[in-house]
Amino acid sequence: MSLLAAAQTREVFWQFPPWAEVLWYCLAVGSVFVFAYGVARPIAKYRRGNPASLPPLGELRSRIGVANRTVFSQASVSFRDPYVGWAHRGIFYGFLVLFIGTVILAINTDLTEPLFGWRFFEGDFYLVYSLILDTLGVALLVGLLMIMFRRAVLKPKKLDYTRPDRTADDPDQAARRGYRIGDWIFVGTLFYLVVTGYMLEGVRIAMDSPANADYSPFGWLTAQAIDTLGMSEGALEVLRHVGWWSHGLVALAFVSSIPYTKAIHMLTSYASLVLKDDQAGKRLRAAPTDETGEPTGYGILSDFLTEHLVQLDACTKCGKCHEACPANATGMPLSPRDVVLQLREDANDAMRGVGIGGVLGSLMKGDRDDRLKVDVIGGDDVREETVWSCMQCNACVEACPVGIEQAPMINQLRRRLVEEGRMEAGLTKTLQLVHRSGNSFGENRRKRGRWVRELDFEVKDAREEPVDVLWFVGDYASFDPRSQEVTRSIARLLREAGVDFGILYDGEQNSGNDVRRVGEEGLFELLAETNIATLAECSFNRIVTSDPHSLNTLSNEYSELGGSWEVLHHTSLLADLLEGGQLKPKEQLGSRVTYHDPCYLGRHNGGYDDPRRILEAIGCELIEMPRNRDNSFCCGAGGGRIWMTEPEGHERPSENRIREALGLGELDYFVVACPKDVTMYEDAVKTTGNSTEIAVRELAQLVEEAVGTRSEPTALAGV
Amino acid sequence: MFKIVVPIKQVALLDDEFELEPGASEVDPDWIDRELNDWDTFAVEAAVTFKEEKGDCEVVVITVGDEDSEEALVDCLARGADRAIRIPSDDLPPDPLAVAAALAAAIRPEEPSLVLCGVQSSDAASSATGVALSGYLDLPRVAVVRAIELDPAGGKAKVVRELEDGLLEDVSVSLPSLLTVQTGANEPRYATLRAIKQAADKPLATVAAEELGTDTAALAAQAGATVSQLANRPKGEGAEMLSGDSDEVAAALIEILKERAGVANGGGS
Repeated sequence: MSLLAAAQTREVFWQFPPWAEVLWYCLAVGSVFVFAYGVARPIAKYRRGNPASLPPLGELRSRIGVANRTVFSQASVSFRDPYVGWAHRGIFYGFLVLFIGTVILAINTDLTEPLFGWRFFEGDFYLVYSLILDTLGVALLVGLLMIMFRRAVLKPKKLDYTRPDRTADDPDQAARRGYRIGDWIFVGTLFYLVVTGYMLEGVRIAMDSPANADYSPFGWLTAQAIDTLGMSEGALEVLRHVGWWSHGLVALAFVSSIPYTKAIHMLTSYASLVLKDDQAGKRLRAAPTDETGEPTGYGILSDFLTEHLVQLDACTKCGKCHEACPANATGMPLSPRDVVLQLREDANDAMRGVGIGGVLGSLMKGDRDDRLKVDVIGGDDVREETVWSCMQCNACVEACPVGIEQAPMINQLRRRLVEEGRMEAGLTKTLQLVHRSGNSFGENRRKRGRWVRELDFEVKDAREEPVDVLWFVGDYASFDPRSQEVTRSIARLLREAGVDFGILYDGEQNSGNDVRRVGEEGLFELLAETNIATLAECSFNRIVTSDPHSLNTLSNEYSELGGSWEVLHHTSLLADLLEGGQLKPKEQLGSRVTYHDPCYLGRHNGGYDDPRRILEAIGCELIEMPRNRDNSFCCGAGGGRIWMTEPEGHERPSENRIREALGLGELDYFVVACPKDVTMYEDAVKTTGNSTEIAVRELAQLVEEAVGTRSEPTALAGV
Repeated sequence: MFKIVVPIKQVALLDDEFELEPGASEVDPDWIDRELNDWDTFAVEAAVTFKEEKGDCEVVVITVGDEDSEEALVDCLARGADRAIRIPSDDLPPDPLAVAAALAAAIRPEEPSLVLCGVQSSDAASSATGVALSGYLDLPRVAVVRAIELDPAGGKAKVVRELEDGLLEDVSVSLPSLLTVQTGANEPRYATLRAIKQAADKPLATVAAEELGTDTAALAAQAGATVSQLANRPKGEGAEMLSGDSDEVAAALIEILKERAGVANGGGS
């Protein structure tokens, strides 16, 4: 063995007596068992869930590809928080590479060398290995320091884990201390391992002065620092032994503890990303059609879909959903994060004491005991008021870096509450009205098309004659007096542009989007089937609607019930008509406006650009609110909240939003593109006392003003 | 077994705009939505709640109506009633006494322990059917009940009934008896569409008058009143438009009130 070759490697067990090596391997094997059991336990839990909607195994490859793209780009962690993104990149890549490095070393030391006498951990390979690990160790260190700085100094409010669904003196609040301590132990352990690792390397380099030390730049620096201490050879020797064992033992303990601490997210979050449903919230899962009389939705833990149980464990408590949630932001007793954490605590409590035999039984024989048959809705669990506070706006799903479906889970809880009649009387009444009359206003269905009476032209009945564009008007646009003004504006614009369009008159029913979000799955199916049957009898090329809620269910959910059509929002059609020259603005409005992205147009259906194209075409200067596009803030009407009573004593989401707009300085209009927004923001402008400051306009009204199909500028009626 | 019979009605909901059947005594059905009478939902809820709490109880809902009214029966079945009976309303006048006679014919063989009606129907609002039914069945009856405490073993029920001016009366009544239930007595549950679909499997019998040992003519003869014609109120009579500024309008108004309504000057009483 040449001197050079001997120098280009390192000895793993430096000056180890045989018993120490044996001890080390015993501990290592032990830690692998502890780790394996820790992984098996949650799998035993998942096997008690409902596997009905797990994706087919054939998708695994492509799903892993998608998950890997998310993980290796760290895009979902960076989303809306680049600081954390960079810190987590350092930690992720640092940890991953150091871990792989350790595995490579173990393969050499424990497999190839003792079994085949092949030692590859030397030469150029070792030098490159050294350089890469040394550098990424620094990345890990920097990432950890950034995270610790954030927690200790920046102290984001969301990381104190205060629950909005519990009062300040509730014992559940104090229990959150455990989460804060756990986070520090996790970060602290990693930090300790990096620091002791470098110290160990530094001592080794200081003692051995290997020729290749410049391939471990940071280790070399540490060695220089140790040199300046002027320690004796004996002291260094002791330090090297102490350092090795304190690093090694903690590393083993850390590995074995991964499944029991926050570190489990390395496994569960990845699994959740592999299982991720990219239609989450846009298309809710149908309730099983079995006639077994089993209640629908989620009432006990074993009702949960397997992937939802995995998602509960995937949560890293990062708080992105907590921050994005409009209910939480306006003081309602809901944080999607805390729903997830509460359910996870419930599930883990239920699995406590399952024992090794129980875990093995679940894994090998598929034993499913009644362990998870525990209620999840109630005073000590997820409270009814929490479930009903949700607006189903999908802001949480959009924000979650690990693919958790908070809003769809809440929808499942609602299904059970609806089935058991646990909802407020007003909501019960609305559902009965929708069932009886086909609309949420409880109006006679004959009145649905009555808004056309004030037009000076006829609107085709699409049931009677073929049309190019079938206009699905929707409840609010049909019945709400303020929205009817907008509806007529759209009608005049379509006529001006020469669009061949018609409506269904009393043949149309509530689209069911919000009925489904409330959790009344059966009524949704009835409405959808009725509408699909009506539409199937009509001859048309595409559907247009001004209602983003109808847009969502028509384009994302009707297809599963047999109705597949091209569905457009009116803003897409108007943008095309303006750019195609069918609509010609007579004047550029020159107004300063801001625009509110409706949840169901933007987040659910990606309709961010067309409304902005329209504003540009008619010469409006768009000043964006801080929360725009995918981060848009729900008006408070979604998820059937518009049919429930608004709790007194705190700011409404719509008021919060109007104040956000007013913070932009002088504006002419607060522009909306959803009939419910018209109502919500008109009210909010008044209740915040800003009627003189800003006016609400629907996009179509501004287009009409620019095109001049109506002589005087349209104000919203019903004031 | 304790048996509660709940007579119910599918009521018509009239829109503010509607048309009458030409020359007939009915409103054009196209303008009408129909639903389970609101008062009856409280009677059904009281019956089903008792059944759920005490067990060993059967709840039977019954109506006099056309085929469409089976929807209201299914609604009740979805809320937890066990079976339903419909007596076809063809050729029966929509009169409380005739309907009560038909109900009585069907209820008598059931030998109910208790009959729960709604106080009134929201469309006809005569409050007569339940009371008449107790007469035909020869049962003791308490009207406008807002709380019920049943004691089947003791053969009686303690109920609270509403009197005028917010007065309440505690009444003890022997069983079997008939109670008419007031709104607000409980919180009627929501029948989900899923429950309604499943309720389609519960027994729903259609029983003609003849099968009950009577006939339509005999029942119709019980009618106290029949509707001979419906007509819109004639328009345009008696309205006078006042014009001028607010002082002038007020002065004119005072004159009119003095003249036609006999309101004296000075006010107070």
